Amino acid sequence: MKRSRTRVAFLDRAFRIGVLSACAAALALVVAQTVLAESPSPSAGASGAASGSPAASGKASSGPTLSGSPSASALATATPKPGATAPAKIDGNTCYSCHTQIGGAQHTIADQWQASIHGQNGIGCADCHGGDPTSDKITVSMDPTKGFKGVPSRQQTVGVCGTCHSDVERMRQYQIPTDQYAKYKTSVHGQKLLLSNDTKVAICTDCHGVHDVKKASDPTSKVYPLNVPALCSSCHSDQKYMDGYNIPTDQLEIYKTSVHGQALLVNKDMRAPNCASCHGSHDAQPPTSTTVVEVCGKCHTATQALYDQSRHAELVNGPKCWTCHGTHDVVKPSEARFFHPTPPQIDCGTCHNLADKTLKLNADRFQNDEDRRCDTCHHVDSLLYSQAQGIKSALDKASSAYDLALTRIAAAAEAGMIVADADVTVTQSKTSLIQARAAVHTTKLTEVAAKADAAVAKAKEAQDFADARLAESQNRRQAMIIVVALIAVTILALVLLRRGLDHTYQAG
Amino acid sequence: MATQTTAAPNGVVQWFEERVRATALFNALLHVPIPVEAKTYYLGGITLFLFMVQVATGTLLSLYYKPTPEAAYDSVKYITSIVEFGWLIRSIHHWAANGMIIFLLLHVIRIFVQGVYKYPRELIWVFGALLFAVTIGFGFTGYLLPWDQKAFWATTVGTEIAAAVPFIGESLLQLLRGGPDVTDATLSRFFGMHVLVLPISLALLLAAHLTVVHQLGIANPKRPEPRPGQLPTPGLVQRWKPFFPHYVLDEVIAWAILLALLVVLASVSPAGLEDKADALVTPPHVKPEWYFLAVYQLLKVVPAIGPLTARDVGILIPMLAMVVLVTLPFLDKNPEVAKRKRPVALIIAAIVLIGMGILTWYGGQIPAVAVAAS
Repeated sequence: MKRSRTRVAFLDRAFRIGVLSACAAALALVVAQTVLAESPSPSAGASGAASGSPAASGKASSGPTLSGSPSASALATATPKPGATAPAKIDGNTCYSCHTQIGGAQHTIADQWQASIHGQNGIGCADCHGGDPTSDKITVSMDPTKGFKGVPSRQQTVGVCGTCHSDVERMRQYQIPTDQYAKYKTSVHGQKLLLSNDTKVAICTDCHGVHDVKKASDPTSKVYPLNVPALCSSCHSDQKYMDGYNIPTDQLEIYKTSVHGQALLVNKDMRAPNCASCHGSHDAQPPTSTTVVEVCGKCHTATQALYDQSRHAELVNGPKCWTCHGTHDVVKPSEARFFHPTPPQIDCGTCHNLADKTLKLNADRFQNDEDRRCDTCHHVDSLLYSQAQGIKSALDKASSAYDLALTRIAAAAEAGMIVADADVTVTQSKTSLIQARAAVHTTKLTEVAAKADAAVAKAKEAQDFADARLAESQNRRQAMIIVVALIAVTILALVLLRRGLDHTYQAG
Repeated sequence: MATQTTAAPNGVVQWFEERVRATALFNALLHVPIPVEAKTYYLGGITLFLFMVQVATGTLLSLYYKPTPEAAYDSVKYITSIVEFGWLIRSIHHWAANGMIIFLLLHVIRIFVQGVYKYPRELIWVFGALLFAVTIGFGFTGYLLPWDQKAFWATTVGTEIAAAVPFIGESLLQLLRGGPDVTDATLSRFFGMHVLVLPISLALLLAAHLTVVHQLGIANPKRPEPRPGQLPTPGLVQRWKPFFPHYVLDEVIAWAILLALLVVLASVSPAGLEDKADALVTPPHVKPEWYFLAVYQLLKVVPAIGPLTARDVGILIPMLAMVVLVTLPFLDKNPEVAKRKRPVALIIAAIVLIGMGILTWYGGQIPAVAVAAS
């Protein structure tokens, strides 16, 4: 009896091992076919062909895809077919149970999927890879006739993702947009991938993950706003990988030093722009000189409105945001940024085409922060230079008045006085000063001077409040000396009286 | 015990004397002898003086103060900024409150070190210990009244201490705050406590304290009071000095010095006012007032013991200490008053005081955790 049970158990184990071995062999065959059929994968290893960033995975190169040779028609190939029904959720998932049992990298992939936003929402393996997940027979579940696609190529991947993510009906329940795929096709990345068949460019899985896709709002997600600079730089800071694209690779280092980078990466201020805020995410494009104002104006709306009133805005090829503030290296503006310590040598031809007198602004001249000054364009003898001087002078005056008021308020507060009135007034001064600084974008002296004068007036009012408090404090201290002196005299008299009492008492 | 009498005066005083018969009362109250060896350092008298200052300045402040969350802050600002000498009255009230706690603490230490709480003065000590608790209550309830950020959040943290009392902590917290949070209900009941309940309690306790002091006289710290049936030390002659006018004049001189100190403090460092209380804006560092820092810090540093959580231990220790403080004369069976004959008691007291000092200093140094986090 005992021997019979042992034999049955042995056969059962042997059968299981046999099935697993068959599954592993079949899978290895499929993977081998895929690898042979495709170009060197941009991301070999556990995460599959489309996993990881190209920069971190040996980079991709162009090559044939499962669906055929790449061509301009790839765009159409990868585009989800209109009316194609999106895959439904599945109850049984034999892919997961089988791949978990295989162990190793396959187990990792299965676990990643289970923990992913897709796994949590019942988006199964077959939804991307095809096949029949209800069958535990590998010949059925991974049968190409059942739609099994294996590992999609990089071109196919964007289509696979787009199939669901452009389906309004399917995405409605998740409350996420459905235009990512359409935007991607307009992006530099999408254009290069789908039209030029450049598989080095970023695809969905490079940014969102492959099997480990997380919600964008998940702080551990690569596309979480605080993580976006590191994500983009995983490719864009790789000089070797970016070789051939003719774009710099030091943007992240520069960005880190900027006000935006400091706010986002140091202060963790999620309002600060990351790469995608200006360049777009799915529709990533470098802003052109004509669109940069709109890009900056997405956040700096009030400033854009002021700029639109300016003479600069009226000019064809006139100064834009980047001319004075830079791009990745935006620093905090101040009154010290109006002029060079020594005016640069410029002549008419520096900024104008002498033939037709039209404006020409060479970007190289504004490459360094030290050169983004009014006198980079406006000659010291020009009327516009004088106007810039007037603007700076008005701001300097307002700024000094504001700082002085703050100093006096601090002194009064230090003396223990209540300075609430002065605080309110100096805040009003600060508001006017900010408005005056912003009015610089109108390039109109009258606008700036009006706001600056208001700031000065409020600052003086606040200073008067603070000075009155300081004077009151001084008076109190002087009165205190008199009162204490009077008390001291009283004490002296009492002490003398006390001594007299002692003498009387001892004599008595 | 009266040793002198004051002759009945003539004129107006005579007129009143005939109708009030006050001379005998004053004789009984003022003409009492005190031992020449008695060293009070005027600490009790100074505390009494500061209480009188508090009554006077508090009454003046109450003429303008409005105890509602909407008006409290502005009324305090009005008192400090607009009312003539309002700043002085408020600042003296502020400094005298702190001074009252300091001098009361010093007074308690003096009584303990001299051992003069022992027979037959146990009740004087008990009333004094209760006066100490009431004075702390004065400081606690008064601190909220300006309704600025510091007041609001210090009270929030301070009342949290009460919540740590085992079993009844939550109910106690509700009772103190008038709800789960510091609100207008808290302000109303703190104001009521501050201007009505506590002053009456303090006045009654003070009357009892001083009455017994008057009846028993000021103790001689050099020798214990003879017990019933015990004969005075043979050959020992007790020397006396008059309470009035000698000792009273000494007290008045000390009060005048204190008054000068209050004027200086009020002028050099007047009572401030932070932003109006806002329950939605937690300041980065919230701490209770300095006299609660030791208890507050104790709650953080004590470990859990057996079935008691650290929080239980942290609150039970000061509660136990308060019980020991009140019942000390009955716990301390040693009849001796000389310091060299009471080394254990003095060493324990020194350790407790140094510990409280370290905890207070420590609590003042380390930024307190935000209330939300705690």
